[in-house]
Amino acid sequence: MMKTWQRSLVTICAFLALFGGVAYAQTSDTPPVDFSYTGNRTAVWIVAQLHTLFGAFVLGAPIFIVISEWLGYRKQDLRYDRLAKEVTKVTVILFSMTALTGGLFIFVLLAAYPQFTTWFINQFYLVFAVFYPLLFISGAIVLYTYFYMWDAWKGEKKGRHIALGVFLNLIGMTLLFVIDGPTSFMNTPVKAEGLSPQDLLATATLWDKIANQTWMPLNLHRIDGNVAFGGFVTGLIGAYMYMGAKSQEERAYYDWMGFSGNLIAVGATLFQPFTGLLLAYEMCDYDFSFCPYMMGDQLSMFFEMQGAMIGLMFLAINYYVWLSLKRIEGVEKVRITILAPVVMVAFPFVMMVVMNYYWIPDPMSLAFLLPLALSPFLGRFIPFTVSARTVIKIGFLMVLVGDAIWLTPHGFAATGAKMAAEVELPEAWNFLGTMPAKLSAMFTLVFVTVVNYFLYNRAIKRGTILWGKIDFTSQFVLIFLAFVSIWTMGLMGAVRSLVRKYFHTYNLIPDFSAESFTPTLSYSAWWITGITVMFFTVVSFAVIVSLRPSESKGHIPEGSPVPARAK
Amino acid sequence: MGNIIKKLVIGLVVGGALFLLSRWQEFPFVFQVVFFGHAMFGAAVFMLLDAPSVRTMGAVKSTIAIVVFYVVLCTVFVAGASMWPQFDPEDEKGKIAKLLAPKRAATEQGKAEELIARTKALDEQVKALEVRLRTLGADQPVAKQMPVGGAPPVVAKAPTGDFTKIGEEQWQLHECYNCHKLKGEGGKKRGPELDNIGSYLTAAEIKQKIFNPKSYMAEGFEKEWEKGKMPDKFKDVMEDSDAMALATWLSTFKNTSVNTPKPIKKL
Repeated sequence: MMKTWQRSLVTICAFLALFGGVAYAQTSDTPPVDFSYTGNRTAVWIVAQLHTLFGAFVLGAPIFIVISEWLGYRKQDLRYDRLAKEVTKVTVILFSMTALTGGLFIFVLLAAYPQFTTWFINQFYLVFAVFYPLLFISGAIVLYTYFYMWDAWKGEKKGRHIALGVFLNLIGMTLLFVIDGPTSFMNTPVKAEGLSPQDLLATATLWDKIANQTWMPLNLHRIDGNVAFGGFVTGLIGAYMYMGAKSQEERAYYDWMGFSGNLIAVGATLFQPFTGLLLAYEMCDYDFSFCPYMMGDQLSMFFEMQGAMIGLMFLAINYYVWLSLKRIEGVEKVRITILAPVVMVAFPFVMMVVMNYYWIPDPMSLAFLLPLALSPFLGRFIPFTVSARTVIKIGFLMVLVGDAIWLTPHGFAATGAKMAAEVELPEAWNFLGTMPAKLSAMFTLVFVTVVNYFLYNRAIKRGTILWGKIDFTSQFVLIFLAFVSIWTMGLMGAVRSLVRKYFHTYNLIPDFSAESFTPTLSYSAWWITGITVMFFTVVSFAVIVSLRPSESKGHIPEGSPVPARAK
Repeated sequence: MGNIIKKLVIGLVVGGALFLLSRWQEFPFVFQVVFFGHAMFGAAVFMLLDAPSVRTMGAVKSTIAIVVFYVVLCTVFVAGASMWPQFDPEDEKGKIAKLLAPKRAATEQGKAEELIARTKALDEQVKALEVRLRTLGADQPVAKQMPVGGAPPVVAKAPTGDFTKIGEEQWQLHECYNCHKLKGEGGKKRGPELDNIGSYLTAAEIKQKIFNPKSYMAEGFEKEWEKGKMPDKFKDVMEDSDAMALATWLSTFKNTSVNTPKPIKKL
């Protein structure tokens, strides 16, 4: 395991790179460096995306670490405490990687785009020179204290330790809000009617620049996304450890860990499409030309790929529930109201019609949506029931239908300008490519998943979970989910950056370099895959070095292994 | 095996039905194939649901399986993304260069680059003149070939009256066709069709609308006007002369057979 002094050294190097870079950028007329093979834009892309991935985990994981620790304390269940501590071990290593890639990011940015970076740092001088480093250092100190005080602050002092975890999350949240200011500013800089962007910027305060139109939607999307991401990575850790477990007790514990991480991830993922939609809505409201660029033209096929990814993700989420149900004794007796599968089947079609007339959050659309969403509860007054197995299979059918609707484009052309009749939807079926259709698909995926977890909950109340007896395929599903979520993050991150088109900061600072064009989806996919693999390699290494040695030394695990028949 | 065959048959039947149904509804061939593909993918999912459980593997076998799994995932994701229609960046590069040319020229670096370009052009002209002189013979008086009183104009500019060319170019550069239909091309019903706009508005009024989208509202586009769907960025990203050229070009469209909605003055 990495020693404290080694981690500190990595962090110091990162900050040296950061401050050295800032000083370098202050030199006027610094010529840009040409990154061979990747080009400057892709070099920045790689480092920025890696930094975002590590940062997302480091900010997201502590949220459920502290919840898990609190649950363990409240329920007096040592499994939760062990889960929290093991994920914290990995987080501590990945925190160093966040600092390292952060320093590297600013260094590459300064080398590739010195003039823009100088201008950008000057715009957010307090953020980059004071707030961000201060919060980062505070976060590091609190994280290390939180980790190293784990065993010292237990028993009666546990409350103090949990409070420290809450404090760590507050720092992390503030850090996220602070850095989202400059990030969102690049897409939607402050603007006002009748004033040129340059004139307005000259009079804008730091707060005006931070609190731009997409700042809060980006905060919400990232908080939710980070929790989901942290959960999926915990599922990945659980899967790795399950596969390497040598005893049934260990398998039972890591089966539980994988399930718990995945459950948290799924809970957060259900909100992701909606917070993402809010962000896209605010972007389109800021400048409507973003909308056709994303959905109808240059980036339209990126959204097709996103649809495919989300579809796969929801299929995998529900497949994992299916496999988890199979390891519950007595599941065959579980039944649910017939209203649930009926509503599942009707859901996409009803919502497609409703949302053509009443757009969310119009109260009329909610008047239709809420009774449908609550049907599993309302249906308890109807005497007809269906077995869990049948309902889940109908659910899979509807996930496939939802995916098909989501994936049906206006036409198979990379831009609307090149749309020919032989690749375009017939006029009468044009509604399949509209937003109401996509929203209805989104709601269907979420609804089916909620019903499946509702069934799971009912099953564990009536049956017994055989922890550690899950189908081995489930561990590949957990790995798959982590991979897909990271890949999708990379894809959507690229989209968010690309909507700026040929500007570093939209409408303010043009990108005069030869690389300021929209890349192809294929080219982007290569790099996104490469970045995902790099991230996975580091995480796998972190899991191996932080969690494996404790066994080899004959170390007694902190949490008591879960009994195979525990709930 | 029975499970696989059963699901495969169901997949083929559903896929075939979808294929025929979409063919009957005159969906393009690519959609017919995709719908068939969805059905087959669904069959694969249901095969997986009823597949027998996989037994727990040892650590070594698991490691190998994970590596193979990652390789498969990477291959499928990259290949999957490459199968969608790809946007050709070449379509955009020329446009971006033209759009950014005035902004680049305004920067210090841009000014320096322009000076270098002019020097190079002058140098090339001198060389061309020298070659011409040599081909004409030494007996020809040099003075006749050289313009008197300094260098000739270097950068050939488009004639100022060529509004049609510049206007149409601006239409393409700013991708106005994404929202507006003109000459039967472009437009996704996001904005009004403009083939008869010249019958309603003068060039100056069209320019006003471009620079201040709230100044006029097209009949039937109240929601779009309310929401400010036409971007208000053009006053910042377009040169005044380019906007005027675009407006003048648009004002020549007076095709009364097209139902261009009437603009209502708002400001």
